[in-house]
Amino acid sequence: MSDYDVIVVGAGLGGLTTAALAAKSGMKTLVLEQSDIIGGCCSTFEVDGYKFDVGASIVEVIQPLERLFEMLGGKISDYLELIPCDPIYSFITDDGQRFSIPTDIDETTELVKRIAPEDVEGWHRFCDKGLSMIEEMMDAVMLSPMNTFSEAMQLGMKNPQILKFAPTFARTHQGVIRSFYKNPVMLQSAAFQSYFAGAPPELGSGVFGYIALSEHLGIYYPRGGMIGIPNGIAKAGMDYGLEIKVNQKVEKLLMENGTAFGVKLENGSEITAKLVVSNLNAQVTYLKLVGPHNLPGWAVKAIASYSNSMPCPMIYVGLDKKPDLEAHHTIVTSSLESMNDVWNNYYKMGIIPETAMSLVCWPTEADPSLAPEGRHILNFLCNAPAPYAPKGDNWDRLKGWYKDAAIKELETYVLPDARDHIEYIQVSTPLDFERRLLHPEGGIYGLFSDMTTLAMFRPRSRSKAVKNLYLTGSSTHLGGGVPTTVASGIVTAKYILKDFG
Amino acid sequence: MIKNLKKVLPVLVLVGMVAAWFQASESTRRYLKHIGKQVPYLPYRYFI
Repeated sequence: MSDYDVIVVGAGLGGLTTAALAAKSGMKTLVLEQSDIIGGCCSTFEVDGYKFDVGASIVEVIQPLERLFEMLGGKISDYLELIPCDPIYSFITDDGQRFSIPTDIDETTELVKRIAPEDVEGWHRFCDKGLSMIEEMMDAVMLSPMNTFSEAMQLGMKNPQILKFAPTFARTHQGVIRSFYKNPVMLQSAAFQSYFAGAPPELGSGVFGYIALSEHLGIYYPRGGMIGIPNGIAKAGMDYGLEIKVNQKVEKLLMENGTAFGVKLENGSEITAKLVVSNLNAQVTYLKLVGPHNLPGWAVKAIASYSNSMPCPMIYVGLDKKPDLEAHHTIVTSSLESMNDVWNNYYKMGIIPETAMSLVCWPTEADPSLAPEGRHILNFLCNAPAPYAPKGDNWDRLKGWYKDAAIKELETYVLPDARDHIEYIQVSTPLDFERRLLHPEGGIYGLFSDMTTLAMFRPRSRSKAVKNLYLTGSSTHLGGGVPTTVASGIVTAKYILKDFG
Repeated sequence: MIKNLKKVLPVLVLVGMVAAWFQASESTRRYLKHIGKQVPYLPYRYFI
């Protein structure tokens, strides 16, 4: 007799989603989280009265969250408050232009007419194709199991309208956006999102080329910080008896004859279950929790063949003055070519470019309660060399460099006297992310995403190598990001309910 | 005739691929190289 029906290792969004749905279906479910807070990258911590988000900074494409709370018998607003953020982004281009992209598509059309009149027709085509693709693929692809060719074919037969979008997956991000835009600024505004999938525009899958459009469906910030999302899912799950334990590090999977039957914790205790779900990175799951000696040779070769998405150091800043910004997110961009150049000539070589700043998030614009009265928070999401070891240096030493670089860019673009107004500044390096969140090499977007690592070529939600082991999270189907990891949790729950429900 | 075509076809395909490679931009070549390195792993990745 097992202690639980389901044990979920890791309380990231994917793990919590699967756990809540399993609990709702009547399965006795336990989540074990190794750190002291839930949410993984989508979490919030408090220092000196400032509430900083660990990594994720907004939620866009809220349909998977809507569907999740529906499946849990409620709606989003029963569990968390999402604050709409408009404009979507503010841009500072390398030639000094500043403009903000509004959520409203008609208002954006007016902006395109002003900054890139030659691309108005392309923008309309981008909207027509992108919006129909997002609408038609949402349920069909985002929330459906797609571990095998057979499942993909079933999806295609059930939803023949989606087949016309299949070539998009095989194209590159830059190939897609270049088919709509000529103007360098328009290209910049739609290109940098490929880094959200951990790849440069010339390597990332074309499907990510439409992220720039999906944001026009609305971007939201949860009141109280990004931890509001995992807290909401956890609360919904706990209404059905879900148990969550923090500070419980799982050391290995308990296995017999290639079948998982529980976990062994770092403190030596063992907990048994009918099935185990791992929300950890798939490489950590297979190579550390399961162990290569418990895997067939092909499985070790397969899992070792993946590379991780690029790491993203975060810089958390508390200010005693309102920053000169226009939007929740501000991007200091450069040309599409230089985005590829940074990847090829810096990151791949282990060299850190001269500028650290990539994306500036201003969460106190949406929710002033995150900081003491009159204070503000800025979170900088930087990109960093991949592979993870910076050439001739180490991440702990580079913290000082990142701090200085962030302050310099803050003074250049946001607040000329920033140095005098910083009350708190801290850097989280890829090594910190690896230590705290168990993301190998600090790759917070999971595995590298291109056409050879998507859908049925990403680690399966239902393991074929280990019986009764299921995976969820950013290294499984759909990849990193808030909506996609929630969707991965729904997909994994569907497999479990099919097998055990 | 068909026999000759069968002999010539692989050569034509190869010539076409070489020509396409030299006409491709640096960026496209980097992409093709990247994908080419990943392809041998696909049969393994499919099952994991």
